[in-house]
Amino acid sequence: MATPTSAHTTVGRYIGQSVKRREDPRLLTGHGRYVDDDKPAGTMHVAFVRSNVARGTITHLDVSAARALPGVEAVYTGDDLNPTIQQMWASMTGPPIEMGGQSPYPPANVLAPGDVRYVGDPIAIVIAESRYIAEDAADLVEVEIDALPAVLGMRAAAASSELVHRETESNVSAAMPTPEVPELDALFDNAAHLITRTFGGARASNVPMEPRGLIVHSDRYRGEMFIRAATQSVHEMKSFAARLIGIPESHIRVVADDVGGGFGQKMAVMREEAAVIAAAHKYGRAPVKWIEDRRENLISSNQARSEEGTLTFAIDGEGHILGCRAEFIEEIGAYPPVSSPTAALAIGVMTGPYKIPVLLPGCSAVYTNTVGKSAYRGPWALETIFREQMMDICARELGIDPIEFRRINLIQPDDLPYTTATQMVLDHITPKETLDQATEMIDVGGFRAEQAAAKADGRVLGLGVATYVEPSAIAFGVFNSDPAVITMDLSGKVQVRLGTGSHGHSIETTIAQVVATHLGCDIDDVAIIQGDTATAPLGPGTGGSRTAVAAGGAAQTASIQLKDKLLQIAAHLMEASADDLEVENSVVSVRGTPQAAVHFSQLAMTAHMAPDLLPPGVGPGLEVVARYRPPSEFTWSNAAHACTVELDPETGVVRFLRYVVSEDCGQMINPMVVEGQIAGGVAQGIGGVLFENLAYDDHGNPLATTFLDYLLPSAPEMPDFEYGHVESMSATLGGYKGMGEGGAIVSPPAVANAINDALAQLGVPPLTQFPFDPNTIVAAINAAR
Amino acid sequence: MGASVKPTRFQYHAPTTVGDVVGLLAEHADEAKVLAGGQSLVPMMSLRLATFEHVVDLNRVVGLDTIERTNGHVRIGATVRQARAEHDPMVASEVPLVAKALPHIGHFQIRNRGTVGGSIAHADAASELPATALALDATIEAAGPAGTRQIAACDFFEGPSQTALADDEILTAVRFPVWGVGSGFGVAEIARRHGDFAICGAVAGVQLDGDRVVKAAVALFGVGPTPIRASSAEQAFVAAGAGADLTAIGREAAAPLTPSSDLHASGDYRKQVAAVVVRRALTDAIKEARS
Amino acid sequence: MSETIGQISVTVTVNGRRRTVTCEPRKLLSDVLREDLNLTGTHVGCEHGACGACTVLLDGAAVRSCLLFAVQLDGSDITTVEGIANDDGSLNDVQQAMQDNHGLQCGFCTPGVVVSLTAFLRDNPSPTDDQIREAISGNLCRCTGYHGIVNAARQACGRPEGAR
Repeated sequence: MATPTSAHTTVGRYIGQSVKRREDPRLLTGHGRYVDDDKPAGTMHVAFVRSNVARGTITHLDVSAARALPGVEAVYTGDDLNPTIQQMWASMTGPPIEMGGQSPYPPANVLAPGDVRYVGDPIAIVIAESRYIAEDAADLVEVEIDALPAVLGMRAAAASSELVHRETESNVSAAMPTPEVPELDALFDNAAHLITRTFGGARASNVPMEPRGLIVHSDRYRGEMFIRAATQSVHEMKSFAARLIGIPESHIRVVADDVGGGFGQKMAVMREEAAVIAAAHKYGRAPVKWIEDRRENLISSNQARSEEGTLTFAIDGEGHILGCRAEFIEEIGAYPPVSSPTAALAIGVMTGPYKIPVLLPGCSAVYTNTVGKSAYRGPWALETIFREQMMDICARELGIDPIEFRRINLIQPDDLPYTTATQMVLDHITPKETLDQATEMIDVGGFRAEQAAAKADGRVLGLGVATYVEPSAIAFGVFNSDPAVITMDLSGKVQVRLGTGSHGHSIETTIAQVVATHLGCDIDDVAIIQGDTATAPLGPGTGGSRTAVAAGGAAQTASIQLKDKLLQIAAHLMEASADDLEVENSVVSVRGTPQAAVHFSQLAMTAHMAPDLLPPGVGPGLEVVARYRPPSEFTWSNAAHACTVELDPETGVVRFLRYVVSEDCGQMINPMVVEGQIAGGVAQGIGGVLFENLAYDDHGNPLATTFLDYLLPSAPEMPDFEYGHVESMSATLGGYKGMGEGGAIVSPPAVANAINDALAQLGVPPLTQFPFDPNTIVAAINAAR
Repeated sequence: MGASVKPTRFQYHAPTTVGDVVGLLAEHADEAKVLAGGQSLVPMMSLRLATFEHVVDLNRVVGLDTIERTNGHVRIGATVRQARAEHDPMVASEVPLVAKALPHIGHFQIRNRGTVGGSIAHADAASELPATALALDATIEAAGPAGTRQIAACDFFEGPSQTALADDEILTAVRFPVWGVGSGFGVAEIARRHGDFAICGAVAGVQLDGDRVVKAAVALFGVGPTPIRASSAEQAFVAAGAGADLTAIGREAAAPLTPSSDLHASGDYRKQVAAVVVRRALTDAIKEARS
Repeated sequence: MSETIGQISVTVTVNGRRRTVTCEPRKLLSDVLREDLNLTGTHVGCEHGACGACTVLLDGAAVRSCLLFAVQLDGSDITTVEGIANDDGSLNDVQQAMQDNHGLQCGFCTPGVVVSLTAFLRDNPSPTDDQIREAISGNLCRCTGYHGIVNAARQACGRPEGAR
């Protein structure tokens, strides 16, 4: 089916164009350079010995047989490496509370400190000539563990005195209790409708197609550490490594060429990566490489979406939501990269695109003996996932159409700027326009007729809608700004150095589009350099839907500054006024007299080689260093999704009929890239509702340890996408808004609502706990009979 | 526990005759394993769920890769690739149930390498070909140190991935009976995603003479430790004739089942849906028989 | 080939060139390609035959290289993603269509997709949409939602709605 896109704005030569990606030729022909593709001479390979028990004390650990195996270089345990750790915290979350910072962290160790705290917990690290030999050696390590009952289940763990971490006083790592505000009790108690529901996500994992991995070479005689990693942020890894082992940051270089996805899993440095850094530093004799395999990735990388939320809406007789109580609890496993609740982020955005004047939120994060929780595409998504399901449930209770219920409460254009109950100022958003476009595209009336006809035929169809606002491009802490450094060479072409870390984001193409447009040159004259701390200015990497806003803004700023200098030089050389000059295709000419023209290369040679020809006050060289800090801490974007499904009541199998997205991300740099981000996000959202379940048994054993059990959606399960675009400019330079995470945030409730709408045809009450797998659906249908 | 993805060491053998294969299996007993398509065996070895000192590659053995029409049967040699059988016109016309079952197996890349014989010898209770062999009353040809023997499908599947083959025997071919005029076949399965192992599936064959049911065969997969022949449902269907209430037949097929639960589905779900897939497979089979 | 202990010598034709490798029987073809033959275009995403990133052509048929021991393949003809482009180095129809339709983002699953689709469309020049999706059902992608890949396949078999 064709994917109609609405007309959108183009700016200059390249912005707003679906320019084909320059990343593609190498990736399509097998010439990418991912971390495992690099094989420095003499590289040694890592395998981990891991716990097969969720909680217990190590009573026997003997690595001597492993050490003795031919081909093994070293085997280290917690006793070897943990004492070498100086500090273990992430720049992006800041120092731990013990050091005067704001963020709680789990106990700092890189290998099990005499006890194990989740199945998969690394106990020892083997360094050997090949991965094959390293695994043979790992099998020879003798480990005995006295198992203890695992602390499982977030509510049970919160209440339990059995501790996941003996170093803490409680399994609740951080909590913000729901405030008691007696003045507001009446609002809730007297409301015409008071509805409470509890929702639960299914534990999931990011599962990038390239697992984690890094090569670390620590050379004490050169005083250098070189790291090549699959990472979203080379500077984060560099500063983390420096603190971890106590060497200066300036001695460390981190490089990431091509990275095979991350979705947040490769943003923070995690424990195994830290173990490899510490082990490589101790070993020192050769590069040490760890390439995570898929089983490790499913058992020991991260969990996400392991959350529950209890929402209470107070609603008046006309369907206005008067207030909301929201209590979130999340399971953060044993060793999350940081222990603060992601719900703390979520609370700020909880009211979404609606006028909900009162919000009483609380949240807590709880340790359990499972894998640690880390960021996953829209880490705060639980607010939209739960709220949008709640909207449908409340609508049904009130006997109002779910779309109409949203319209009653939606922030209208005249309400902007709108200050939410959490003091967020929402502006430059279009919830009404996107909801209108999505519902028009899906043709609600036509579908309802189709649904009724199908019901007469014994077929069960459902429609689900969801809408939200996205806090993109967060601009505080280390994320406050993004840099761009532009240099022009003697041929008049430019290199742009960014603090980004593209891992599928098409940044080499999109930022080149921005620069070429604002500089006035051909896009092929713009080279983008990122992912190397030796050349990239300090930036937070890529994540949090920030690139267009922050890196785009920085690139635009730098391009304009460089162009200004070029125009000054050209004006001086051509004895014209800078105001009379125009630039096209790297040629500066006097407006109306095309023969009076000078090419960028001439200007560059003048600037670099003939400084006496420069105008007074203009120094030699052509380098611009710029930084862009967005005007507010969040740049808001929004979208509405609508989808239709058919549910087979005999088997509980769900298939998609249509999936419609109306997206407003401001000025699109590359519409094709925007749509690709949406599609990928929605696939993950669909996975989280229907297929993905990183389950554990009652003893803390992970059950989904291969792709046979952790089910990613494949092509036949996915719908075709239909896109509509609304463009309302943000207040940022360029009018951009971030949107990369949005598809994954708002699709789960759209899908859930469609399934529950289908179930409603059968008189089945809505499901509220993911996954909505066929078994769960059939059980619900059975129960309703 | 490591989290292994590299196999342990083994010695590799690539004999060219069945006799040599059998000799190696006899010599090394349970330290040896036969490798055909490898689509099930190699991942098990990589994950170190299974370790063998000796791997005996079947792929160089001469004469195991034929598809022949003999004596009322289609005989498919042990190393015939699933993809080849899937696209073979004789298989499609003579043993349509095999042709219908094959596309459900995994993905085309798996079928390019996986073998018909290997799938049956591996005997995963959730896969299509063992159930197909059971439904069609196929005969498994085996070769061992004592010579060759024939094993009826109903005697072949003993437990989860356990068959009547001895450690020193190999499956050399499977013979599928050809049904007569008026036959039709159907396959219905429920899987989490396209190509996944079935949570619950059924294969069905019917032969009709007007409304009279000459022959009926129904086998279920994914609902027990082995594929299961739904004999009482078959008998009920024969007795009732082609106009039977297929919903009732489906329930009859599901009634004796005691499927187990796993991460993907409960035993109760499997049992409930078994009735549905039997009904759907029979519906398709009857429709084809009538056309 | 008879009983041998230790390393085995294997000669294969890879992307048109004859190559000889000596390796342990247990070494997977995916590792031999990547390590011994320096062809790192074939990617390893799961090593248990589920994700399809390691797909190569073996005697013309698309197979998972992580499910083959290299020693099995003496005398075989292998094409990896590095051998898919046209002889003059230009992208083949599938590769060009993938670029035209944004069928890749991070690129990690892409070699398996390109090899699988090239083989599938060679043998099935006019597939339906359902057949296209089934054909790539064994290639897991986490970035694209398959939208761009399906459009690429449509374009590569000459259907107008696939083209941007």
